[in-house]
Amino acid sequence: MATHRVRRSGLTMPVVTKRFVDNAWRRGCDFINLDLEDSVPPHLKAYARSLIQDAIPNVSKGGAEVFTRINHDYILADLEAIVWPGLSRVNYPKAEYGAEIRKLDEIITRLERERGIRPGTVEIGANIETAVGVANGYEIVSASPRVKDFGGASGYDMSRDLGVEMFVGFDQFVYGKGECELIARTLEVETRASPFVANTTGSVSDPNLAFRQAEAARKCGFRHGGGLNPAVVEPQNRGFTPSEEDVRDAHWVLEEYRQLAGSGDTWREVDGRIIDRYEAARARDTLEWASLCAERNRAKAEAVARVQAAMAEHTS
Amino acid sequence: MSAKIRRSWLLVPMSKADRLTQARQAHADVVVLDLVEFVTEEDKPAARERVRPAINALQGCGAEVFAQVDAELLYADAYACVWPGLTGVLISRLEAPGQVAEADTLLSQLEEARGIFPGTLEIVAALETAKGNHAAYDISRASQRVSGLTLGRADLIMDLRPEPSGEIHAMPYLMQRLITVAHATGVMPIGAWWRAPDRGLLATPDNTYQAARRGRAIGFQGSLCLLDNQVAPLNQGFTPAAEEVEAARQLLMAYDAGVAEGVAAIRQNDHVQGERIIDRGTATQAQRLRALADACAVRDQEKVEALSHPPLAIP
Repeated sequence: MATHRVRRSGLTMPVVTKRFVDNAWRRGCDFINLDLEDSVPPHLKAYARSLIQDAIPNVSKGGAEVFTRINHDYILADLEAIVWPGLSRVNYPKAEYGAEIRKLDEIITRLERERGIRPGTVEIGANIETAVGVANGYEIVSASPRVKDFGGASGYDMSRDLGVEMFVGFDQFVYGKGECELIARTLEVETRASPFVANTTGSVSDPNLAFRQAEAARKCGFRHGGGLNPAVVEPQNRGFTPSEEDVRDAHWVLEEYRQLAGSGDTWREVDGRIIDRYEAARARDTLEWASLCAERNRAKAEAVARVQAAMAEHTS
Repeated sequence: MSAKIRRSWLLVPMSKADRLTQARQAHADVVVLDLVEFVTEEDKPAARERVRPAINALQGCGAEVFAQVDAELLYADAYACVWPGLTGVLISRLEAPGQVAEADTLLSQLEEARGIFPGTLEIVAALETAKGNHAAYDISRASQRVSGLTLGRADLIMDLRPEPSGEIHAMPYLMQRLITVAHATGVMPIGAWWRAPDRGLLATPDNTYQAARRGRAIGFQGSLCLLDNQVAPLNQGFTPAAEEVEAARQLLMAYDAGVAEGVAAIRQNDHVQGERIIDRGTATQAQRLRALADACAVRDQEKVEALSHPPLAIP
């Protein structure tokens, strides 16, 4: 499995809403996604672009990575406004063709060069939100090495494109999600997926639901979170981080696995559980992820402490 | 529908010779001599040496014999396995049609060198990685020898874990994809619909039976398994139940009577499904079900008779 960047939680916010942006660093997110798209009305798009360069250092001072979601139809104007040092990722909504991604890559490559950003720094998040996007998933992922993860084919826009209800008690996106996941795995980029957890209420702020979804996703091997409401940040951080019990269990599995060596057997059963190389790999994965999460938590806590110290100095 | 009845494919690791005697008696439709999943790297050379005697020891037990070989170690594994008495190879972790073409050529050479009629050996493609599944359609058409597709241990190899619903992540999609490709290319879809806590072909006999029933319901025709006690549940699960066969018989009787009177469709009352319309499509399904049940019975009888004879003495 590819090295995971730790992106358990993140808030997508309209860059024009000052109080969201100014408080973003306090939220404990692994990333902040500054939105130029659906949460910004057309008459404010130009103003919104003008805010990004200053917002990047502002929202990241608590240790979060910064992403920007651009508009499908204003690629050039949006990219000119957002590709500045500190930006990790451009999220491109309603990706449908490989040519779109190649165009993004070309412009980002130029802007990185002009603005002193190391080549290849800025990732492209290709959001699949239409049937056309699903059909062209392979060429979309193949179009640029900046596409480092892939998945989706679910959510509001996808349900609108298919003309189906978003909040139902069953998984209405089995095919699209399966197809995108197979493409991600085939092209060896990180898989962005999550198991199906019924949400019939449409709540985006229920901390318990957020925790259940995050925990189920982690137990399935997935690590990507994100949301719209600050109430889901902490539950996602917690749900996507292995619990102490999971860490203890992983050590136990590896210890049991070591005892297989030299026996000539490839598996054995201990306390009703199978121990084999696959379980050992999952255990190693859990430990590696737990240590990445701990490192990320530490880095964020230190960043927040630095800001608070600076603020205290400023007021005294 | 494939003519061959291959409901249970029992994997027998070649790391241990002792499983063979039990495997002979297990009533599996197919015994798969494994050089891949259950043999450690250090053990492989010794395990390869055991394959030829194992093929001989299994002759006359009523099971067809396959060998599971590693796509990456194809030459060494195939040289060890291709002997008279082998029906085919199950190639693990196939990812590209070119590998199938290469395997086809190699099998032809070995058939010629070892006195096997050309084209005898079949290939079952185990698509256990994303690349393999992505290329499934081309892999399945890459050689006339391909007779089956399976996901093998994809759940473990692709690290697909259980979801809260009990489904193993992505498997509903991958199973349907494989079954569609298999039918599109006229080969047998091999697998069962496993759910948590079933894992990597391991399950209790009862869960194995349920996985076989669900698997048959979505189009699988037989499945791999690891333990002797999974064989009977697979055989039973992939065989039409007596009630199904009886319902089909009654349905066909009523339909034939209707057709004789000059109608294309009849209404039938059935205690399971209530009133329904029977047309030619439904009748064809019922005929196929009866044919499958008959073929399963013939296969079961063959195995019983084979096991009633003493093992052939191999010089």
